[in-house]
Amino acid sequence: MDNRLQLINQLFEIQGKIAEIGHSSSFERNFNRLFNIFEEEGFIIQDPINESYADSRADCEASIVGASSSKMKITKTLKPAIYQKQNGQIQLVQKAVVLVEKI
Amino acid sequence: MKSVNIGIDLGTTNSLIARYENNEVRIFKNPVGQKETLASVVAYRKDRILIGDKAREHLTKDPVNVFGGFKRKMGTDEKYYVVNIDENVTPVELSTLILKELKTFVQDTEALEACVITVPASFDSMQSNATLKAGKDAGFREVFLLQEPIAASLAFFNAAVAKEKTEGNWLVYDLGGGTFDVALVRSSAEDLKIIDHEGNNFLGGMDFDFAIIDQLLIPAIIKETGIDNFEDEFRVKHGKYEKLYYQVMYYAEEAKKELSQHEETVVEFSADLDGEKYDFYIPLTRADLDKVFLPIVNETIHLLNKILERNKLTAADIQQIILVGGSTFLPQVREQLRGQTQISINFSIDPTTSIATGAAFYAANKFYEPLAPALAKAEDNIADELLATVDFNPIDLKIDVSYNRSSRDTEEVLMIAADGEFEDKFYRIIRADGGFDTGFIPIKSRKTEFLTLLPGVSNSFNLQVFDQEHNELKSFQQELIIVQGIYNIDGQPLPHDISIEVDDLENKTTKLEPIFERNSLLPQKRTLYREISKTIKKGSSDSITINILEGDKNSRASSNLTIGCIEISGKQLDADLVKGSDIEIQIHLTDSRELNTAVYLVMTRQEFKNVFAVSEKQVHVGRLKEQFILLEHELVDTLRQFQYNADKVWEIKASLLLEELQTVKTKLFKLKDQDKSDEKYVIAEKISRISQDADKLGGNERIALLLENYFHHKETVAEVIAMVDFEKEELQKQYQRIGQSEASFIGSKNVSVVENKLKQLDDLHWKALSNTTSFLIAKFIEYKGYDAADFKDYAAAKSIMKIADGALEKEKYAEFRRHVFSLSGLLKSVHHHHHIDFKGTGIG
Repeated sequence: MDNRLQLINQLFEIQGKIAEIGHSSSFERNFNRLFNIFEEEGFIIQDPINESYADSRADCEASIVGASSSKMKITKTLKPAIYQKQNGQIQLVQKAVVLVEKI
Repeated sequence: MKSVNIGIDLGTTNSLIARYENNEVRIFKNPVGQKETLASVVAYRKDRILIGDKAREHLTKDPVNVFGGFKRKMGTDEKYYVVNIDENVTPVELSTLILKELKTFVQDTEALEACVITVPASFDSMQSNATLKAGKDAGFREVFLLQEPIAASLAFFNAAVAKEKTEGNWLVYDLGGGTFDVALVRSSAEDLKIIDHEGNNFLGGMDFDFAIIDQLLIPAIIKETGIDNFEDEFRVKHGKYEKLYYQVMYYAEEAKKELSQHEETVVEFSADLDGEKYDFYIPLTRADLDKVFLPIVNETIHLLNKILERNKLTAADIQQIILVGGSTFLPQVREQLRGQTQISINFSIDPTTSIATGAAFYAANKFYEPLAPALAKAEDNIADELLATVDFNPIDLKIDVSYNRSSRDTEEVLMIAADGEFEDKFYRIIRADGGFDTGFIPIKSRKTEFLTLLPGVSNSFNLQVFDQEHNELKSFQQELIIVQGIYNIDGQPLPHDISIEVDDLENKTTKLEPIFERNSLLPQKRTLYREISKTIKKGSSDSITINILEGDKNSRASSNLTIGCIEISGKQLDADLVKGSDIEIQIHLTDSRELNTAVYLVMTRQEFKNVFAVSEKQVHVGRLKEQFILLEHELVDTLRQFQYNADKVWEIKASLLLEELQTVKTKLFKLKDQDKSDEKYVIAEKISRISQDADKLGGNERIALLLENYFHHKETVAEVIAMVDFEKEELQKQYQRIGQSEASFIGSKNVSVVENKLKQLDDLHWKALSNTTSFLIAKFIEYKGYDAADFKDYAAAKSIMKIADGALEKEKYAEFRRHVFSLSGLLKSVHHHHHIDFKGTGIG
């Protein structure tokens, strides 16, 4: 895997851990800046948490918790979705790894 | 006759498609998600058919409508009853859908008429014929079959450097996602033959993940939580720990990957169990995995040994074991195989793609008779186009779509209205970036579809229509474009570039750095991260200036119009602001062109927010004075050039411009920084006009001369870069970047733009030279000849010279280069571009 994607995943994980212990605000600017560096490199990073989930979401690799339903929501993101802009084209380079549950 | 060239690995768990082209094999990627593999799973959802990875998500949840592993049932009379469509489907039909989906990976116009499909060594005639039928039903007129171990061997032999060594017995060990096969292959000068094979249809990569979960993670969770019946509850379908189950599955897979590279890792996660929050921290080592993987690997080795025994072969009779399948990446598999069999293992080919690669190599030497081009195209496009050529419309179908071309939501509704023969037909919509795919949806007279949009960009969707057999009716294809988000499609474009003025300390001047480019649609928002280029003491009157300008990003600041200017002085600081510390500048230009800025000084942790109405001119007297000085110097230089070239006409014009500029000098330098009168606007206007006129001095001839200079210089720089000993790639990239904007800056016919490019080339030239050992040696010798007075610290310089000599003697050029750089840093500066007290903006 591209090292830059691994780096983004690590940052995403650290950001999640900091949020869990309630210190997000102290690091918000630093994360914005770190993610900004990747954005300047043409990456678009998306955390689909709390978004509705449907079969058409090819940007996610989902594990369905409980019974599947027509109304589902992303309740946990293990890895974010990453797109890359190259030569004016945008391409999905990493699917988000998510857990989804019935609303 | 034509080469087949297409090779397909139709796997139990995953499938791949490859093509032999230009003497090598190319594995195609799924346009949806860019993966090379396609999960061999088909899901008949209530309203659509999904093929591949999305289908796999429902495999365990909805087994009566979702099918995987059907390869194992090929050639049997087994049928799957699909509850959602109330129909039976056969393994051949399911395989056909996988093959058709794989065809979509090959996104070029050439019709795919023939292919090679691989089958397991164990496949009998019925199973092989079933695979042939699936290939034909998928639209391939000619289908050739190839046994998987032969395909893997072909990939290996074609990649092998020493091809003469290929005669003998080989074992192909294929440990895939869910199946295991091992085959004995005999190679001779003429051919490759499978002598024997063994396999287990229910042994694969997933078993390793389950071993980690069952034997390592569950015991650790029980130890931490003390929950008695955890293990039983954990596996209950829709049970209370189901969410944790999927999380743990993910962590097990990650740990497996991690421990393939490193000796230790930690599985770390939090979970709510029975209303209590737990933080798990489970250290795992490679040795732990060795232990739990051993029984699985032993099972494969047991099957391998059975082949050897049956054929009365010993390790010495086998050349090598060729590894195939994703799970052979595991070090435990490799080590045990090597240790227990005493046969050398070969993992020189990519185990995930080797079967498809081998199939493509085989396909390169298989031939078929193609249809005439027109016919082939027609056949590929099905009857609609064929009949259209004889002026007859075969399908009476009309598809109308309506949707908003722009949206501020992340989802937009698409209305699809169908008229005519839409029964048994499907549509499918895929977003071009691969993040959205509806799968196959039956067409109805009226249908709505929610399209998910990627924020802030133009989203392009491709709508396709298919017949009952999932063959595309290409004449119905259409592209739908929806611009999402932060702007309306008719949002006003910026008439000029918006830039920020930053310091160019080396040349004691300032330069513009673009923030938003011309023609960007409003609103726009961006955060810039820069460094402070001079130290500002707390309480001092020294300051930094954030000057935001509108105009040509390539010209000098004085030619641009200032639309926002913020001065932060030492008096406003809570602490000293040290050179090199970070500054964050957030710039937001609204729909109505109101400029909002938020400046954050990281060192002092202070934020300064400002709002500017762009209708009000912003003139900062201090900055204006400095811009005046820079322009004056530039005009003096230009004037000297004309005098030197004896160019009378332009000399007069330049001197008139200089005189005109100097008329405002006295007034300007009398102005106080806090001046409230209109005077500063009048002067700023005049300076801006003179600055623009200065660019026109010398006319086309000056531009022509500069361009000539530019191209000559460019050639020299290319030659120098070709010779560098360090950082060649980076320098080449920078060189290309300069070249990329060539068309636009040549077209600008603007003197300062071209001069700016020349300066960039010049900087690159020096950078390239300082990465060239021979130049560094010459420089070093030159430095050694300098007097003590030329250095800031001669003693330090002497000692660096000594170690640099040592590095040079030992040919440690990278180290030598560092020393020469340090030495140049110790030199007293000998020249200044402008003999002025340059203050700049304070932003580097």
